[in-house]
Amino acid sequence: MNRVEELENRVKVLESKLHKEEKVRRVLMDRVENSVASTGNSFGLFENNVLLQKNVEQRTRELKSLLMEKEEVNRKLLHEIEERGKAEIEVSSAHRKIEALVSSIPLIMIEVSNEGIIKRWNAVAEKVFQIESSEVLGMEIYKCPIRWDKDKINELLRRCCSEGIAMTLKAVKFARTNTDGVLDLTISPIMESSLNFSGLIILGADTTEHVLLERQLAQAQKLESIGQLAAGIAHEINTPAQFVGDNARFLDESFGDLERILLLHDRLLDSLKAGSPTDDLVKSIEEMENEIDLDFIRKDIPNAIKQSIEGIGRINKIVRSMKEFSHPGTDEKTGVDINRAIENTINVARNEWKYVAEVATDLDTGMPLVPCLPGEINQVILNMLINAAHAIAEKFGKASGSKGVITIATRLNGEFAEISIKDNGAGIPEEIRSRIFDPFFTTKEVGRGTGQGLAISHSVIVGKHGGAITFESEVGQGAIFVLKLPLRDGMESS
Amino acid sequence: MRRILFVDDEPMVLDGLRRTLRTMGKEWQMEYATSGREALEILAARVFDVLVTDMRMPGMDGCQLLNHVRELYPHTVRIILSGQSDKEELLKSIEPVHLYLSKPCDAEILKATLARTFAVRHLLENDSLAEVISKIQSLPSLPSLYYEIIDEIRSADGSLARVGDIISKDLGMSAKILQLVNSSFFGLATHISSPAKAVSLLGLETIKALVLGIKIFSGFSSSDLPCYSIATLWDHSLATACLAREIARHLNLTQDEIEDSFLAGLLHDIGKLILLDRLPEACGKIAEVASSTECPVSQAEKKVLGTTHGRIGAYLLGIWGFSESVVNAVAFHHCPGECPNDALSALTAVYLANQCQGKNDPGNINKTVNFDLDYLSKSGIDRIEELLLTCSDPCRLGENGGCEDSFRR
Ligand SMILES: Nc1ncnc2c1ncn2[C@@H]1O[C@H](COP(=O)(O)OP(=O)(O)OP(=O)(O)O)[C@@H](O)[C@H]1O
Ligand SMILES: [Fe+2]
Ligand SMILES: [Fe+2]
Ligand SMILES: [Mg+2]
Repeated sequence: MNRVEELENRVKVLESKLHKEEKVRRVLMDRVENSVASTGNSFGLFENNVLLQKNVEQRTRELKSLLMEKEEVNRKLLHEIEERGKAEIEVSSAHRKIEALVSSIPLIMIEVSNEGIIKRWNAVAEKVFQIESSEVLGMEIYKCPIRWDKDKINELLRRCCSEGIAMTLKAVKFARTNTDGVLDLTISPIMESSLNFSGLIILGADTTEHVLLERQLAQAQKLESIGQLAAGIAHEINTPAQFVGDNARFLDESFGDLERILLLHDRLLDSLKAGSPTDDLVKSIEEMENEIDLDFIRKDIPNAIKQSIEGIGRINKIVRSMKEFSHPGTDEKTGVDINRAIENTINVARNEWKYVAEVATDLDTGMPLVPCLPGEINQVILNMLINAAHAIAEKFGKASGSKGVITIATRLNGEFAEISIKDNGAGIPEEIRSRIFDPFFTTKEVGRGTGQGLAISHSVIVGKHGGAITFESEVGQGAIFVLKLPLRDGMESS
Repeated sequence: MRRILFVDDEPMVLDGLRRTLRTMGKEWQMEYATSGREALEILAARVFDVLVTDMRMPGMDGCQLLNHVRELYPHTVRIILSGQSDKEELLKSIEPVHLYLSKPCDAEILKATLARTFAVRHLLENDSLAEVISKIQSLPSLPSLYYEIIDEIRSADGSLARVGDIISKDLGMSAKILQLVNSSFFGLATHISSPAKAVSLLGLETIKALVLGIKIFSGFSSSDLPCYSIATLWDHSLATACLAREIARHLNLTQDEIEDSFLAGLLHDIGKLILLDRLPEACGKIAEVASSTECPVSQAEKKVLGTTHGRIGAYLLGIWGFSESVVNAVAFHHCPGECPNDALSALTAVYLANQCQGKNDPGNINKTVNFDLDYLSKSGIDRIEELLLTCSDPCRLGENGGCEDSFRR
């Protein structure tokens, strides 16, 4: 019977689909069970499917025997056809449920056949990679247009195929039209039996947001360090404010004293002019001079004025430097007077180094303006300066009282502006030299360092300016960091 | 002649101080050092009453210097004059410091602070006692309350209100918290007399750092249980505080004086807590003398120690930077006539309140109430019965523990 045969075929197709679905599911369930808590009843669904399938098989067998009795069972057959129709509907609805389940998984899912052909490319993959499934289905995975580290990923895919073991890879970077992204990948083989390898399933979680968040955190920590700088700046202002205030009060009081003496002198002058006796006046002037300690006042007033001017000068200087240092960072490179940036940074950070070191500068006055991001360059110099101060504090200890020396020099070197920051602190031990630029690598106690200074500096100098950072160090003798910034800004694209 | 040593790594700060304090040269002898090391050399050669030091200095910093001084010259009052604004740095210095002034500090305030410190020294002639008190960083708390506050602060959902409640139930904790709030330590320098308010001003983070990090509180160890219950002392203190405030209102004192009356009432017997904690043997002896000779506790204290719990408490509060009005009220709460100032003040209110609350004064053997009529008439009070009658309500409230500030026990 045509209809029955046709029906049987369709059932078979459905069965085979279901069977494959089940394999995919098995892999999937292993991997995704945790991440997709919302589909907690999926196992129930799966069990139903298997049951359903068994029913279909059973029915098919029964049907075959029934068919042998031909016309006699025609009526029954008709009824059967109805039943099969229902079963078909049920099977396809189960299939749809599985499809829905699979497509609800919030992960990138790429299924690859054992010949390496892309068989599935889910909506998440479309969205994350900005590649439609129609563009890649049927394509060889090794040739797929995802812009990631092809050599490395392909190597992993091959190993997964040949060795039949699952692989995971964290922080896989990939490029797309506007922004770049980061993935965590799992590649698992689909094994039909323990020997029979039937393809691969690639699952990926897009962690771009997460990484961005971490970066923002780093930014916040940077701001925090500026907050700490603020406390130091306040201290640098409060100290001169104390003695300027004291001096002003002293000047006020001593002017009152001088005024009293001057009054007597006026009267003395009047008496002299009038030719009247002056002995009493002279005597009271002498008494008054003693009383107000005129010698002291006359000697000290110029000092008080001088020191007040110096104090105000100090306050002005730090306020001005602070203004320039924290100048709202433009996103574009501008010509920066590197020497001035260095002076400003030294000023705002004075409180961080002055208790442990002297800072000397040797700045090349012929330095042209260097194209760079002023805010970021300030941050880098600050990092270097504070690192140097910390290294010196570590070597000299807290209570020794003797200070170290930090020397900051600039120099024109061909096509580069060179900034060197040298200290005679503890130096950098051989074992950690390869790691100091790693994010979060620090040898400092909590609260003193977060291990981001050099990582940020590296990304600023090398990444954003196309320059270079190098260092040399001798343990116990100190360290020197050299920053090179290209004078011509030709680095944007690479 | 009082001796002061100023220490600052910035010579110009010292020059400025020298200039503004020059007029005090007749009463005060001032010396100057530019480093902790130099300061210690100077201190080794001569006795100083007060040390005023900067905080951040190269080599030995102010905190280290004060720690040395606390060990070597405990009677020297330790003051910090610093431009530091970093809270963490400030917290570090709390331990060894008596008083905190922040730069820029007006010369008049500095002078007044120094003058007050010297005045406090007059309260206690006994040098070895002064030494004992100068070493005190915190007063012991009831163990149960101490653990309660540690638990509250450690718990994830610790609340400021509950912390305030707990602190408000303990004399030692209240005294320390009020010191911090009323000094310029946190730039608050306010006139706060309620421990709960003080706690909410400081905030949970600071309290946490103070209690867990610096451990400004400590519990009595249960082995040396005090001669009489500290809990009763607290009830008496609270009742006295409430009544003193009420009396102050009726005497038409200024708002500051009313606050001071409460504060001084709360802390008036803190000297007893000091004695229990630091001189337990003397404590026992005093109780013995008092009961055998049937004389007031203050007299017994004079016989045994040569001074009273009033003066002892006042001395501590004085070097902790409490105001003169509070210090005097505490010092002379049993003998207002001895106070150099006999104008109507917080002392008057605290004196009257304490006399009325004498019944629940745990150390008081002599339960009859009598007043120093001479002092009262000098301060212009002639009808005390009337005054006390109008103020009787809080009196009763105080006994029940139901004071306005909702302190519970
Ligand atoms: N001038 C230096 N001398 C000696 N060691 C240094 C010097 N500069 C950096 N280092 C070492 O490199 C590590 C990393 O420095 P980096 O600036 O990245 O982080 P950090 O200073 O520890 O913390 P952060 O800068 O985030 O506050 C430091 O912990 C320190 O061990
Ligand atoms: Fe008392
Ligand atoms: Fe009392
Ligand atoms: Mg650093």
